[in-house]
Amino acid sequence: MTDRPVSEGREASTDPPSAPAPTPRGLSRRTFLTGAGTVAAGGVAAGGILEGRADAGPRRAGGARRVEGLVEVTLTINGKKRKAMVEPRTTLLSTLRHHLAEPLTGTKEVCDRGNCGACTVMVDGRPVYSCLQLAVRCEGHEITTVEGLGSPEAQSDVQEAFAACDGQMCGFCTPGFVVSTTACLERHPGVDRETIRRELSGNLCRCGTYPHVFEAAERARDARAKKEGGR
Amino acid sequence: MSRQDDARAQWRARADMRVLDRDIPRVDAPLKTTGRARYTHDVRLPNMVYARLVLAAVPRAEIEELDLEEARGMPGVVLVGADKEIGESLVYLGDDSVIAHVVAETPEQAKDAARAVRFALRSKSPVVTREQALDPDAPDVTGRGNVRAGRGPRDAEKVQSLLEGSAHRVKGTYTLPIQHHVCLETHGCVVDLRDDGATVYASTQVVSGNAGDFAQMLGLEASKVRLVCEHMGGGFGSKFGPGLEGAIACRIAVELKRPVHLMLDRPQEFQMAGNRSGTHAEIEMGCDANGVLTAITGTVDRLGGMGGGSFPGLPYIYECENSSALVRSVHTALDANRAMRAPGHPQGSFVMETALDELAYLSGVGPFEIRKRNVSGEDGEIWRRHLDVVAREIGWEAHPNKTKPGEADRDGFAIGIGFGLATWRAGGFPGAECNVRISNDGSVVSSCAVQDLGTGARTYVAAIPAEELGLAVHDVQPRVGDSSLPPGVGSGGSVTTGSVAPVVKAAAYKARTAFERRLSESVGKEGLTFDWNGGRVRSSDGSLDVSFREACAMLGSTPISETANYQDGQHLTARGRLHGAQAAKVRVDTLTGRVEVLDMVAIQDTGIPLNRLAVRSQINGGMVGSLSYGLLEERVLDPELGLLLTGNLETYKIAGAREIPPMRAIVDDEDERWAVTGMAEATGVPGHSAIGNAIYNACGARLRSVPFTPDRVLQALAQRS
Repeated sequence: MTDRPVSEGREASTDPPSAPAPTPRGLSRRTFLTGAGTVAAGGVAAGGILEGRADAGPRRAGGARRVEGLVEVTLTINGKKRKAMVEPRTTLLSTLRHHLAEPLTGTKEVCDRGNCGACTVMVDGRPVYSCLQLAVRCEGHEITTVEGLGSPEAQSDVQEAFAACDGQMCGFCTPGFVVSTTACLERHPGVDRETIRRELSGNLCRCGTYPHVFEAAERARDARAKKEGGR
Repeated sequence: MSRQDDARAQWRARADMRVLDRDIPRVDAPLKTTGRARYTHDVRLPNMVYARLVLAAVPRAEIEELDLEEARGMPGVVLVGADKEIGESLVYLGDDSVIAHVVAETPEQAKDAARAVRFALRSKSPVVTREQALDPDAPDVTGRGNVRAGRGPRDAEKVQSLLEGSAHRVKGTYTLPIQHHVCLETHGCVVDLRDDGATVYASTQVVSGNAGDFAQMLGLEASKVRLVCEHMGGGFGSKFGPGLEGAIACRIAVELKRPVHLMLDRPQEFQMAGNRSGTHAEIEMGCDANGVLTAITGTVDRLGGMGGGSFPGLPYIYECENSSALVRSVHTALDANRAMRAPGHPQGSFVMETALDELAYLSGVGPFEIRKRNVSGEDGEIWRRHLDVVAREIGWEAHPNKTKPGEADRDGFAIGIGFGLATWRAGGFPGAECNVRISNDGSVVSSCAVQDLGTGARTYVAAIPAEELGLAVHDVQPRVGDSSLPPGVGSGGSVTTGSVAPVVKAAAYKARTAFERRLSESVGKEGLTFDWNGGRVRSSDGSLDVSFREACAMLGSTPISETANYQDGQHLTARGRLHGAQAAKVRVDTLTGRVEVLDMVAIQDTGIPLNRLAVRSQINGGMVGSLSYGLLEERVLDPELGLLLTGNLETYKIAGAREIPPMRAIVDDEDERWAVTGMAEATGVPGHSAIGNAIYNACGARLRSVPFTPDRVLQALAQRS
């Protein structure tokens, strides 16, 4: 990390320097509160929830569910329930890529802080950056990754359109673009080029594939319209 | 189609091609669209550990303290090692900033352990800018002086007198920032060292060559190391060697005897994984009353950090006999520049195209015509033709500002058009081999260790034999990205296609002719010729007319296996240089300084466009890359402390969907070379120059510094004469 000077020679940390402040914002990323009592939990935090321990599980304190250390989460990913042992600060991105028994590596890590969209997945049908989601907050939600949209043998219409239009070069941004395009077409069935550009503006590509990505989105849109019209 | 058994492989005529010279969806697209393509980042092996580097954030510092004990005690930590010692100096910001490495069971644990590495630095004055390096009292950052003069100036007096006698003259300072490659997949590797050898997964542009580098670092014979790069998330010139990260991963693997996953994170990538050198050019250039160049002089500083930097020299691709610019390197305490898509050319393009554009308006010749007047020879004819194409496509004819810049409308908007020319060398070099194997079950495997950076190499490794054997692309199984295959070449300078495609063609040709000899023997006749088309094989006398698979069944237990090298195929490679032209149309908001590119068009000669779809993707990529360079990208360092201020994508901006206008990528079908070459470098050369010139054409604001940020546009508007 280079976002803070290293005056005392220590790599800059994203953790707050002192004990947690009495607001959720001030919580350490390593201890996170989930469940119904999030607001109340702020008060609990002030009462002294501290750094996570490697072997601790979820506990209840003051009506809030406190998670710290290593906890088991059950996530619904691509329609299947999957269990993982994660820390409260583990992102959904890291969970997908590193902490499942069978890792899902289609979702890519590029910036790991919400700039590039390579880690885009759908949560309950909405596109989100999985690097900005904590896995413990995703229990009970439907998570769809690029692998859940189709397979090489049976691509989704959007995936087929990307292949046909050369909507990928190196392909590292492609999973994120495929998910964002899928979400875009769900929200805007008759989408125009301007809206496509806006809806895909949260994803970055370095090879310069954008013109072909836009064509792919329009091809998938037209194929759907034709299918609808044919009914 | 019946053909003679030529002594050498030949590309089919355009009219006879059935697979190549068409839009071929890339064969690995379904793996990429569904997230199944496995990149180095994605490699997961049993018992694998995650390594992470610890970097200092400033150059030119001495390590006063280094304490690894706390890190060693962190949960999940397997190993912590020092890469520098107390008392040692950090010379430059880059891989020299690596102080230590940590290894843990999970990436999160490795991150925590990295944060727990304690060190204290005593820093000296940073020397991270050109001005700091040129200060007479500046410390010597390289030990060889901060300035290293290159060629020139020649005939200084003559040039000066020519300039003074010129009808029109411009004098200015033109600058370009340091740019980053920003490969979406960061640099790194996974090293799996076992008792019987090692498999290294690496994101690399040199699969065959890197296997030997890793073997050396692991203390193994080259034959014991297999390097795998099935897919890679971009290279752009930055991924040639294993790097310090590769060396450290090898040391860890040797020590732990466990598979090691070591990839840089994004801030580390910006700090130590390469860049395109910056440029500071103080130039004076003159032309006669007709806009023909008379003389050029000045000083060009290449800003390549510890490296020499790149700059192609002036007048770049234009003609001017009397050029005496001094080109020198000015060193700073930053990591050395690396090759990046057409090294030096985008810089040379900007300086030359901008200064020439200024003369175009001073002389009244206009920006379209002045380019035509200052190119020459056969190359010049091609560029003039290219200029006509892009001018037509961008709407130059109907555009009002032919020889004078326009003015803003009542709302403050102004629209302009600008041009730029592209070049690079065509062709390839020796080193690659390809094997084509045809088995009795009808399977065809085409193998070459070449890497596919996203260029589409894997697809033509299949498509070329498919064309030769009358098959569809999916009938041929391509195998690439694995050092155990016949060697490939490194992918640098757009040489891959020119070096590999001819070899694939030659191997496919050898396989077909060997197959024909076997078929002749089978039917017991000599002198037959065969037609391979639509998945069928027919003999010239009609005695054989079978499906490809049935023909393969006649091979019995001995498959066809033919290997070719560059000797067999070099006549199939294009020679000479590449040419292209680009035009951009922009809208300048003269109230805010914001520039929006409305339209962009490029034409590029490509030899035989093996895969027209992939070629258009490459041309688009060049336009997008130079648009991004022109409008957004800039490495920024804090001159007080030497900190890198653009260490992730929220501060180092690259173009996104909203910056991308309609773009047209035109393949030059009048290229008379019926031979193959790569072409990606050329497409990234002139786009930012065309955009800068379009800004002037719109409103008279001359941008002499890249990127064209709103503040610079407003400043240029205020300085209009």
